[in-house]
Amino acid sequence: MPYLKMDSADLPKVARKLAASGARLVLPVREGDERFYREGADPDSLDLTTIPKNSIKEFLFPKTERILRYQYRGKDVTVEDVAPTAAGRTVIFGARPCDAASLPVVEPLWNWDYKDEFFNARRAATVIVTYACRTAPDEACFCVSVGLGPSSDQGSDVLLFPLDETVVAVRFVTAAGRELESAFAEFGKGEVAEEALEAFRKTGEASLAHRKKFDRVQGWLEAHFEDRLWEEKAFRCIGCGTCTFLCPTCHCFDIQDESCFDAGYRLKNWDACQFSLFTLHTSGHNPRDTQPKRYRQRIYHKYAIYPQKFGKILCTGCGRCVAHCPVNLSLYDVVATAQERAERGD
Amino acid sequence: MSDRTAGIRAIAGKWLQEGTVEAVLGWEQGTYRDKTAPVLVRKAEEVDRLVFNERCTNNLMTYLKRDPVRSLSTVGIVAKGCDIKALIGLIQESQVPREKVKILAVTCPGVRNADGKRPVKCAACDVNTPVFYDEIVGEKIASNPDRAARFRDVEALEAMTPEERHRFWREQFDKCIRCYACRQACPLCICSRCIAEKNQPQWIETSAHPRGNFAWNLIRAYHLAGRCIECEACETACPADIPLMLLNRYMAKVVEQSFGYEAGRDPQAQPPLRTFKLDDDNSFIL
Repeated sequence: MPYLKMDSADLPKVARKLAASGARLVLPVREGDERFYREGADPDSLDLTTIPKNSIKEFLFPKTERILRYQYRGKDVTVEDVAPTAAGRTVIFGARPCDAASLPVVEPLWNWDYKDEFFNARRAATVIVTYACRTAPDEACFCVSVGLGPSSDQGSDVLLFPLDETVVAVRFVTAAGRELESAFAEFGKGEVAEEALEAFRKTGEASLAHRKKFDRVQGWLEAHFEDRLWEEKAFRCIGCGTCTFLCPTCHCFDIQDESCFDAGYRLKNWDACQFSLFTLHTSGHNPRDTQPKRYRQRIYHKYAIYPQKFGKILCTGCGRCVAHCPVNLSLYDVVATAQERAERGD
Repeated sequence: MSDRTAGIRAIAGKWLQEGTVEAVLGWEQGTYRDKTAPVLVRKAEEVDRLVFNERCTNNLMTYLKRDPVRSLSTVGIVAKGCDIKALIGLIQESQVPREKVKILAVTCPGVRNADGKRPVKCAACDVNTPVFYDEIVGEKIASNPDRAARFRDVEALEAMTPEERHRFWREQFDKCIRCYACRQACPLCICSRCIAEKNQPQWIETSAHPRGNFAWNLIRAYHLAGRCIECEACETACPADIPLMLLNRYMAKVVEQSFGYEAGRDPQAQPPLRTFKLDDDNSFIL
């Protein structure tokens, strides 16, 4: 199927039309030296130059969210459900392929033993317009290692290919994406044949600094729970939540009750396996009592436990945990070490 | 290899060889761009991992509060003048015995952040050549501090109306994701259980809503009033790009004006917020 060809300069106009249609618009904008996905930003501030510092996670799984309301009356308590927040129809415009790909990775989790109506309601109302990477936007990128790539269409409804500085090819991937076709149509400047995209894909993949395939990591991890690697690499972890909170696939949450006198809300808040309280038992015992054990848990969850349970690696190679770790503890280095040791039978 | 790197390796090697310290904490070349990474060297053969360059931004004193460094009986720490200020604070507060730490000071012409810019602390630095140490490496550097640089942004904040200031901080704190990278990177956030982790009952709301974020960010700043040595580790670590140093420097300014005290200078000094004097200014009460 041929792709629609358009000028990249017209992309903000498409975004403006989508916002005018009543959708909640999320797009990457510049703040200081960084880019962030922000809700409700002016379409003209669309900035696609590099990968944003936050992921798109917060627009489907907010950092804090009310899930029920309670009210005490004497000895009785009444509990009311909170309807999944009506964020309404949402268009995430200019997501990176690694962000879009996080959705099919985490969907099985949110629909496993309990169907999370909050995530599902937002997911059903969200359309993803992805901006494929002509070249890797950052040297931390390693999407190819986890079986994805700079042109991956996983999780995307519309895929934009910046063929050069000024021309974009548009592919409508899903039915939800095709519903946006009218917003793009008037900016069409002809068509691009599918073959032209093959060169785009190859250039993108070749531009990654990190490309080791992580195909033997799961097996190695399953046999090396106790290993010198964990203490060696993770001594420097300071136990903050930067890696987990910037990660598009990390999804752990905490339940908190916040009340004022006799009424309040129960909330679902982001939580991180790197925090000392994460597995602290009421007894005072903590099965993950040191930071290397907590760091090991993060790697295991992503590369062994989640694949065992859901058949997918819980990582899209976006590289945020590599680029933004305050102490340069690189997940890529750790997992690549596991892969190398598997390859040499160590 | 720079002279400073060579000097650090020589002294670290000597200390480890002679058994003066169990390990040396320093920086090694990182793996992302030009970043450096904290490293704990336990054997003299491994001292070649240590480096010093203008990307050695992490304040390593934050490791004194956590294992494995906490449980060492002696540790050598490679440190710039600004990092040593944190150690002075920890010694004043009896958090670290002076004799546990061997300070391998390095003269520093200034560091650079990831964006290539010099931090404010470097413009205001008066300890390019550290004054409190066990050994020192590097050519001596005379400081030429622009002391006013510390409070330039604070003055812009003070010029705002209360409403403008509230709006400013509301916008900044809305970005907070409660990852606590600020607290974890801080060498002087020393509580083994932070008030944000006291959950029986929950003292500070952990939710990243405006009330919870105001509570967290303000209490963090208050706990550092008169203690923060302006190393900028919190702001550098913050993944949400919140200007945390604005709050910290505002606090520092208030403490300087009220008590004539600047943190991280003299290990013998008594920090004002942990002492009581009959002639302390109490005009704010009346």
